[in-house]
Amino acid sequence: MKLFKYSLIAFCCCVLTSCYSVRLRNVNGAPQPDPFSDRDDYYRGMAVVEFDTVISIKVTSKDFTYLIKEKEACESGKINIIEYRNTFGGVLLSAITFGRKRKVKIKYVCEKLTN
Amino acid sequence: MATTKTKFLNEWNTLHKNGPFPLKILYQTKLEGERAMPKKLERYNDVAKEIQRLIKEAQVAGEGFRAYGSAWSMNNIASHKDRMHYNGFMNISLPINNSDCHSNSNYDSSNLFLFECGSTIKEVSEILAENGKSLKTSGASNGQTLAGCISTGVHGSALDVGSVQDYVVGLNLIIGPDEEDIVYIERDSKPALSDEFVKKLNVRIIRDDDLFCAALVGLGGFGFIHGIVIEAEPIFLLKRYVKKINKSVAYELATTMDFKNASFTIPEETDSNGKGNRPYHYKIFINQYSNDPDCVVELMYKKKYEEPYPDPFPVIKESLYRDLIYLFVKLAENLPKSIPWLVKRLRKTILPKVDDQTTGMLKEIFWDAPYQGPAFACSFGIDHKDAPKAMELLGKLTREEGPIPGIFAMRFVKQSQGTIAFTKFPMTCMLEIDGVLWKETRKIMSLKKYSKRMIEVLKENNIPFTLHWGKNSDWAFPGLINHMYGDHAKKWIKQRQSFLSKDMYELFSNKFLKTTGLAPKPST
Repeated sequence: MKLFKYSLIAFCCCVLTSCYSVRLRNVNGAPQPDPFSDRDDYYRGMAVVEFDTVISIKVTSKDFTYLIKEKEACESGKINIIEYRNTFGGVLLSAITFGRKRKVKIKYVCEKLTN
Repeated sequence: MATTKTKFLNEWNTLHKNGPFPLKILYQTKLEGERAMPKKLERYNDVAKEIQRLIKEAQVAGEGFRAYGSAWSMNNIASHKDRMHYNGFMNISLPINNSDCHSNSNYDSSNLFLFECGSTIKEVSEILAENGKSLKTSGASNGQTLAGCISTGVHGSALDVGSVQDYVVGLNLIIGPDEEDIVYIERDSKPALSDEFVKKLNVRIIRDDDLFCAALVGLGGFGFIHGIVIEAEPIFLLKRYVKKINKSVAYELATTMDFKNASFTIPEETDSNGKGNRPYHYKIFINQYSNDPDCVVELMYKKKYEEPYPDPFPVIKESLYRDLIYLFVKLAENLPKSIPWLVKRLRKTILPKVDDQTTGMLKEIFWDAPYQGPAFACSFGIDHKDAPKAMELLGKLTREEGPIPGIFAMRFVKQSQGTIAFTKFPMTCMLEIDGVLWKETRKIMSLKKYSKRMIEVLKENNIPFTLHWGKNSDWAFPGLINHMYGDHAKKWIKQRQSFLSKDMYELFSNKFLKTTGLAPKPST
């Protein structure tokens, strides 16, 4: 029973400490708005693109490039805010696949078009 | 052609979730692309036609229409139950050349710019900075649209400048679906643009001081504001200090505005005789739950723009902040007695850090204010000489009949020329309480009740006041508008009735105007 309790505490610590977000925000430019969105978080009123997937990385390659293209939710094709989130699940997935599978959880908001 | 997206909805909400308010249709118009229509003026005129088409559509359907920007107002002033238009994508900017100015213009043309309604304060500031210019003041933030700011009288605490509407020199309004319904208004006594330039906007020119001053703080009721001509000034720096001083000294400065002979000085901000310089900005923070004889004040001094200066950007706030506040509000709803304790514990996140010193451009000092959950704000305009008394009365009310999850602040703004600008006193103290929105429980009164009590207390004590148009209040309080503005409100209504056709008067009237009595049925 004691072992179970300690394991549970250790598991909770791992979950809590491995979950974090890093947000980069451009000091210039305005984020692209979205009046039709009803988000209730940091991105309220903004056009947010969310990217939540698992990528495969070969042993020989050490990076992965995701292309940001001009589209409705990103009219300028330029980044204004980007947030990367790390989760316990992501760490676990990476560990058990020896780094070949990586969880990628990103939110970004493009810059509002200027006229 | 400019294109409009339409969404059928049941309700709409403000940024700070002060609603929801009913709504049938939400429009969003985007300008034609630069590749298809390279000339800015062509795109500007093209989108004006699209707005007229939408107005016509609403008129035919017998419904109302209202434009809004960043939805920062905390009441229903920006809403309409029928149709609303989001302006944020209409952000063309045009510098005004000397040749575009009126022959009697006294303005330095290099300071004049035309901005389309949806340009935010941040966008406007960046464009001005690229031209070596700055806004004279902002609403101490940068997310609001320019049209939203002037329509509701947004202000900072620039003692000798005024509010955002006070540097507007011309307004381009769309007041109906027909050709002659696009107008440009400026003061007759202070013309800015030449007829030749204005005609390029396909508009009818009206030079009239009274109409201009009424439309300046128009509450969205003078039609669709399409373009705003503003007077900027050469770029400058602000040096910001945060100090803790005795409350009586802070109040004395509030009532006298005499920084020269004050007992409080900042050594770096004195003249050759050791007398205090006059700040650009003065703000007092009051925690009404604290017995501390001292209070935190924020002062900013205007400086010549010089590079380099220290990086003014603060460390980006962690998202934890919002969640913590939200949790505390949930606690406060059920345990209101914990509010003073919570406010004290949160003082480091609510109040600026004492002895902080920063230098930056206006656009840097008042940078992005990220959304931090549902919020409320009640803000009274009071003659600065009455400010300490009003503060004590409202503080007492908040302690004794509350507590309410927020703290007070006092900002000071020069008188505006807008007919119903709430900064109506020669020096107006904006006495405001900001905080997190709560739900009424058996133990904590509603925001509406609290707002009503504040009005009653000021009236009982014969303190003349106004209310910030974009903030929370009991707007249905009997005789409120007449009490605040008297004849000025009547003048405003009259100007609006003679400016708009009968149809358009109704189309641009919303619940807020009707509740306050600012949109009475015109007498036939």
